Amino acid sequence: MSTATEFKPYSLSQTLSGHKRAISAVKFSSNGRLLASSSADKSLRTYGFTNSDSDSDSLALSPMQEYTGHEQGVSDLAFSSDSRFLVSASDDKTLRLWDVPTGSLIKTLQGHTNYVFCVNFNPQSNVIVSGSFDETVRVWDVKSGKCLKVLPAHSDPVTAVDFNRDGSLIVSSSYDGLCRIWDASTGHCMKTLIDDENPPVSFVKFSPNAKFILVGTLDNTLRLWNYSTGKFLKTYTGHVNSKYCISSTFSITNGKYVVGGSEDNCIYLWELQTRKIVQKLEGHSDTVVSVSCHPTENMIASGALGNDKTVKIWTQQKD
Amino acid sequence: MEDPLQGDFPEVIEEYLAHGCMKSIAFNRRGTLLAAGCNDGSCVIWDFETRGIAKELRDSECSSPITSVCWSKCGNRILVSAADKSLSLWDVMSGKRITRIVLQQTPLQARLHPGSSKPSLCLACPLSCAPMIVDLNTGNTTSLKVSILEISNNGPTPASRNRCADGITSFSPTAACFSKHGSLVYVGNSKGEILVINHLDGEVRAMVPIPGGSVVKNIVCSRNGQYLLTNSNDRIIRIYENLLPLKDEVRALDDLNERLNDLNVVEKLKAVGSKCLTLFREFQDLITKVHWKAPCFSGDGEWVVGGSASKGEHKIYIWDRVGHLVKILEGPKEALIDLAWHPVRPIVVSVSLNGIVYIWAKDYTENWSAFAPDFKELEENEEYVEREDEFDLIPETEKAKTSDVNEDDEVDIVTVDKDPAFSDSEMSQEELCFLPATPSCDAPEQQDKFIESSSKLVDSNNSGSPFSEEAGPNEHTMNHNLSPVEDDAGGLRIKRKRKPSEKVLELQAEKIKKPSKSSKSSKSKIKSLVDEDDGNGFYGDALSDE
Repeated sequence: MSTATEFKPYSLSQTLSGHKRAISAVKFSSNGRLLASSSADKSLRTYGFTNSDSDSDSLALSPMQEYTGHEQGVSDLAFSSDSRFLVSASDDKTLRLWDVPTGSLIKTLQGHTNYVFCVNFNPQSNVIVSGSFDETVRVWDVKSGKCLKVLPAHSDPVTAVDFNRDGSLIVSSSYDGLCRIWDASTGHCMKTLIDDENPPVSFVKFSPNAKFILVGTLDNTLRLWNYSTGKFLKTYTGHVNSKYCISSTFSITNGKYVVGGSEDNCIYLWELQTRKIVQKLEGHSDTVVSVSCHPTENMIASGALGNDKTVKIWTQQKD
Repeated sequence: MEDPLQGDFPEVIEEYLAHGCMKSIAFNRRGTLLAAGCNDGSCVIWDFETRGIAKELRDSECSSPITSVCWSKCGNRILVSAADKSLSLWDVMSGKRITRIVLQQTPLQARLHPGSSKPSLCLACPLSCAPMIVDLNTGNTTSLKVSILEISNNGPTPASRNRCADGITSFSPTAACFSKHGSLVYVGNSKGEILVINHLDGEVRAMVPIPGGSVVKNIVCSRNGQYLLTNSNDRIIRIYENLLPLKDEVRALDDLNERLNDLNVVEKLKAVGSKCLTLFREFQDLITKVHWKAPCFSGDGEWVVGGSASKGEHKIYIWDRVGHLVKILEGPKEALIDLAWHPVRPIVVSVSLNGIVYIWAKDYTENWSAFAPDFKELEENEEYVEREDEFDLIPETEKAKTSDVNEDDEVDIVTVDKDPAFSDSEMSQEELCFLPATPSCDAPEQQDKFIESSSKLVDSNNSGSPFSEEAGPNEHTMNHNLSPVEDDAGGLRIKRKRKPSEKVLELQAEKIKKPSKSSKSSKSKIKSLVDEDDGNGFYGDALSDE
């Protein structure tokens, strides 16, 4: 069902500064009440909404907690489904589990032999998946911190990992140009997606219904693949992405869009079906390396690299 | 997306779970949690994905061995029967006991009514009297008839508290199970008759005599309600096809009874019975004539599995529903006492007399095409014949390389398909599929240690690094050896082992069993098997969670 409403442009509503070095990832919690950011400054930060009025014009975020403990920069983070825990992936080869409200470190997950680059919880949040420069994908037991599986995933650094909706599949992407789908309970490789050319894959994520995957490659292209058939169905271009692992996401709260960062310091919004660029959000002063859409509000959060170091919040103008 | 399969049944022991001495097991509806009743009266709930303990249900009032465990359909409740004659109903999420009822005799089996999400009725099969329906709220019991001869007397015996019906004068327990929606109970009595009983009044509505008339030891309904399995003393497992409609079965039975009203009571019951169930297949081992233990169906009803503990063995027989024996799994020499098939996956879980739970799964052979889709795996050498244009400078096949995808087609990224395996779930909103996992805190010293050792790569033996560090990126996880010593971080450690090493598998395969010292202490036996292999691992005692 396509929306008949015209696209309402987003505009900058807030800038959150505090991190001392480049931002690496921003994510909203699934209950929509928190935003978290990770940075090369070895820390994570969370921000919460101060205004609980749902029809108030300003849904403003204010800093809540800082999470320190990593020895090196942090590349990625993820909320557990109940928003009680955060997990972070760092160049210090560890993953760390944090208690969200108090900021305290609960657990350190050891095992990777090189920088840990990406991480995610499964929907049940009893398992964590991580990808690393050591070319493996690891599956961890949240409760005990034990590594349950090591998947011989790729032949180059793993750039992204994601679970599907029911936690039965894992998708991983790598600089080796491949995306692979794994059975989460057995660790067996189900499928490898390749195309004629395989530019390094910088990002991958399941669609909300887990039938498709959104794949970002370092040839300035975003693609939507149907992984069962192994064919891509949509291509999104116009942005710049040839160096960094920039995350992208779906916006489904008000029409269907694909949102992604870019190395020209902008955020691009494409209409899902027509692939047209409907908006370019300007404001950052360095590569926008991560974007996240709020689960219920029409709100986008973005984080940028070292020249900028801020998290920006964009909302749609209310009439 | 499913794993490419050659046969949908398990083949080898993948892992084992140890915690105290487990006796009786049951999967929840989706197979995400495994409940195990223990010798000490507690019930342990395993997170089947992580193979770790998710919750423990422990009750100071009950310290006798658990005889059976049963989940409610929605997974919110667990009913446990124990050797101290009690039935306990637990709320899974909170870990609190809802109610406890003491019967006159120890119930060997207790099953919650499958029709409702918060069932208050259950079916209990006591040690040596008739099965009964127990109301868990009031404690009232309604005994079920176990013989058709009781009908001719004046009406049903009044439901009275704690009085067993005067049924067949035999001391063997009578088997019983609910039909799929719980409106009927199938009872297998010691005369080898299947009685179809209305669970509300305990009256027999139909009777099916089993050929041979041997005492019935187990009676089980398949998950889809289409088949009924009986296990008799004559060492034969029989599969019956259920001819009644799954919904409205009571009404269909009443109709049948009406129509055949001109026959005398016994004849009528048999006639109605023949319209309820029809014998489909018989399974037995003609050579060894083993007694079967804990027979049941696979989740989809395609396979039938039966265990054998004869001479202390641990064997699992798997037949396809048509009757072919497809596999015999043989485990370590510890008698098998319970068995369960995973509701969805080709996994079987068995319990040994020592209280260890073994997980059997398919022996996975790597599907190389999954890793390299443009390569095809060949069974044997094939002669390669070149295409006509193989060596052309511009081959025909590559000239027109248009994408056959129309990028303007609409894609739906939001609509979710329903899971066909659980099509009958009307209650999926309230269903409890998993227990939230709370990470246990690292002890403060551990964190320093981690920081230190993060620069060292592989430091096996006793540094506390997870076993998988030893794996290079190309090693398949299934071949991993045993995990090294577990750190005592937070005091929570469950003894857990990965797939047995090559040596253990060899031992199993060659059926060279170690002389089993009638082991009370299972841990030492396993330890010796283990120590042989890698010498550096040792296992602390299994510690209970909190």
